[in-house]
Amino acid sequence: MIDPAEPPPLRPAPAGPVPGEPSEGLPPEGLPSGGRPLGGLPPGPPGGQRPGLPPPGVPPEPLPEPPLRLSPKVLLTDPIRMLPSLFLPLAGVLFLGGFSPGSFVWAAFGVVGSVVYAALRWATFTYRVAGDRLELTRALVSRSVRTIPLERIRGVDVSTPPLHRLLGIAALRIDTGAGGEDKQEGELDGVTVAEAERLKAVLLWHARARTARRARAEAAREDGAAPVSSPAGTAGGHGTALGVPPGAGGSPAERHGAGEATPERVLFVIPRRWLAYGPLSGAYLLTPFALAAGAVGVAFQWGTELRIDGRAVVSAGEWLWGHPALLVAVLVALVLAMPVAGAVMYAVFNWDFTLRAREGYLVAERGLMTRRSVSLERRRIRGFELVEGVAERWAGVARAWAIVTGLGDSQTRGQLMPVVPRAVVLDVVGEAVGPIVTGLRAHPPAARGRRLFRAVFPWLAVAGCAAVAASVWSPLWWAPAVVALLLAAVGVPLGLDRYRSLGHSYDGRRLSVRSGSLRRSQAVVEKRAVVGWKLTQTCFQRRAGLLTVIAGVGAGSGGYAAIDMGEAEGVAFAAEVTPDWLASFVAAEAAETAG
Amino acid sequence: MSDQPGGHGDGTGGAAAVARVGERAPGRGRVPLRDPANPISRKAIVLWLLEQLLWAAVLSGGSFLLARWIDGDRWSWLPGWVPDHIWWLPVAVAAILFPAAIVEPFWRYAVHRWEFGDDVVYARSGWVSREWAFVPVSRIQTVDKAQGWFERALGLATVEIRTASHAGSSTIRGLDYEVAAVLAESLARRAEELRDDAT
Repeated sequence: MIDPAEPPPLRPAPAGPVPGEPSEGLPPEGLPSGGRPLGGLPPGPPGGQRPGLPPPGVPPEPLPEPPLRLSPKVLLTDPIRMLPSLFLPLAGVLFLGGFSPGSFVWAAFGVVGSVVYAALRWATFTYRVAGDRLELTRALVSRSVRTIPLERIRGVDVSTPPLHRLLGIAALRIDTGAGGEDKQEGELDGVTVAEAERLKAVLLWHARARTARRARAEAAREDGAAPVSSPAGTAGGHGTALGVPPGAGGSPAERHGAGEATPERVLFVIPRRWLAYGPLSGAYLLTPFALAAGAVGVAFQWGTELRIDGRAVVSAGEWLWGHPALLVAVLVALVLAMPVAGAVMYAVFNWDFTLRAREGYLVAERGLMTRRSVSLERRRIRGFELVEGVAERWAGVARAWAIVTGLGDSQTRGQLMPVVPRAVVLDVVGEAVGPIVTGLRAHPPAARGRRLFRAVFPWLAVAGCAAVAASVWSPLWWAPAVVALLLAAVGVPLGLDRYRSLGHSYDGRRLSVRSGSLRRSQAVVEKRAVVGWKLTQTCFQRRAGLLTVIAGVGAGSGGYAAIDMGEAEGVAFAAEVTPDWLASFVAAEAAETAG
Repeated sequence: MSDQPGGHGDGTGGAAAVARVGERAPGRGRVPLRDPANPISRKAIVLWLLEQLLWAAVLSGGSFLLARWIDGDRWSWLPGWVPDHIWWLPVAVAAILFPAAIVEPFWRYAVHRWEFGDDVVYARSGWVSREWAFVPVSRIQTVDKAQGWFERALGLATVEIRTASHAGSSTIRGLDYEVAAVLAESLARRAEELRDDAT
């Protein structure tokens, strides 16, 4: 199904390193023909076919490259990365040996061993793009070849941890969208930055070629179905483009006048002062407690290593327990540290968040210590999710995620915008994915009763049980009873707000559902992403005349629910979005009334 | 607040009922969807009876053992009246589970129905809670036909229809084996014809 208004037409032009892209050491257009000593042109020119010539119509495949090694600089990074795990054993050996010459020999042996191991790993690991596959070969003990069909590559992440950045190398992670069952993801940890950019261009170029092929097949099948949409045109463009090495021949803009004029466009760079909004999201707020727990754990571990008696640590804990004032002070300090630590962690991870549009991809880059860049194929983006917590709504800020098909770990990787003012989120997301759907229709008043009941009743029940226990056993039970009562009271505004959040809408192309209060989330999903419907009704919902409508979507969290709709309203909503699926199943009488 | 939490007039009541299933028919609700055309196999009642009775027996037996343990050991941290009345536990468990195990299969048989028409699979399932699923054939990724031990003994089968989303997938249980085979086959064939990207 091709939606006439499908947003970004596939770029007809070949990829290659994007002109103007800051790729270290490579002239913008020099990639294919430029000074690559390796001779492997990323996507081969049409003339350069191999003997086993593909039939006409099949896009030419690139020449096989000779196998390549990672940058020798990994000989530095690998042992250094192993240091933390080596440190304790080494320290243990030195301590146990009483710093005798023998113990130093053993320690040195360990260090040299790790370097030799790294060298062996480096020498025996090769990778190459062969035909339509990426082959990762490891021949350390036994020879293993991991083959990743380029067709299946959906995204390439380039990240540069601090040490890597110092040495000018990068880690490349290849996302094949494989689910949990067959882990086929590949990693190239330690290629030069230039090589990383080249590989990324090559790998993603194939993803686009596949896209074009499919679009062409689709266009051929549907045969001029959608005049406005681009598949036919795009496919044609690709047809010629496929044969031309990327970068050679006219620039994308020349060949395809409409659409994005620039190959790369920065959609938004988040000003640093907005990092202050971070703690409002509640992210990383528990950091101080995690750090404290980590410190206790380390104390125990090092205790054994450094021969500090474990009992000393325990007795220190007991001593602390014996001084409640101190304990409370520590807790207060930890609580006070929450926003600060949360802000610091948030800033470290979201430093200079930049969202770019590039050649059919959205690229999100962020991070202070480790610079992380995630490429989302635009063709796979089906919508977005806008999330606002309570504090965030009070401050007028929000976050947004892209809903992408076949993206694993989408919670961390699909992020389009961290915590920034709501208007900006809507602006940027509107440009990158699509505008938000407004005019949500409210759910029936019975839904308010249910939200209230669910927010209040469990705590009332707990309070009641605790009160019974208090009167039967000990007055100590009054404490939990009072706490539960207070929570039940808080449940009233919470339930009311949850009801206010409920809403659904369909604007003819995209549907939208919203729910939640402490974490309010609105999903906007294109109609074509819906793969099925599920309507559920518990016996309580039946008594209230409500049901929950879940749109199955092959992206993001898999399903987006409109909670507690009216019965007729819910069926009508599903029938409104996908009339041809439900038409014959809606009861005749209801069809008249619901229109 | 003007609303009543349980607010529901009895609305359309039996008017919208679709007569086919009869008095306790789920179609009587005000959900304006007609019943799917096909009932499942009657043998599914036997299947569910067997399964549910087995579960009820296992859980009742477990609670019986727990009661005997507590009665024998009389742990000091339990308030005194717990061991005194512990023998009510297996009695209560059995009194709840066995009637439920007998009611559920018949109730389920009235609710569970399915239909494959207009290139959409429409299935209804559940008993106390209900679920209606609509899966268009063009979005189907896999069709599985499965048989457990009891199902094999009774000549029944389950058809699992999967799409790219768990929320868009559906499972039809308690079909006669031949019916399941024909359904799975025709779904697979039609899905092949209609295949688009399916995501």
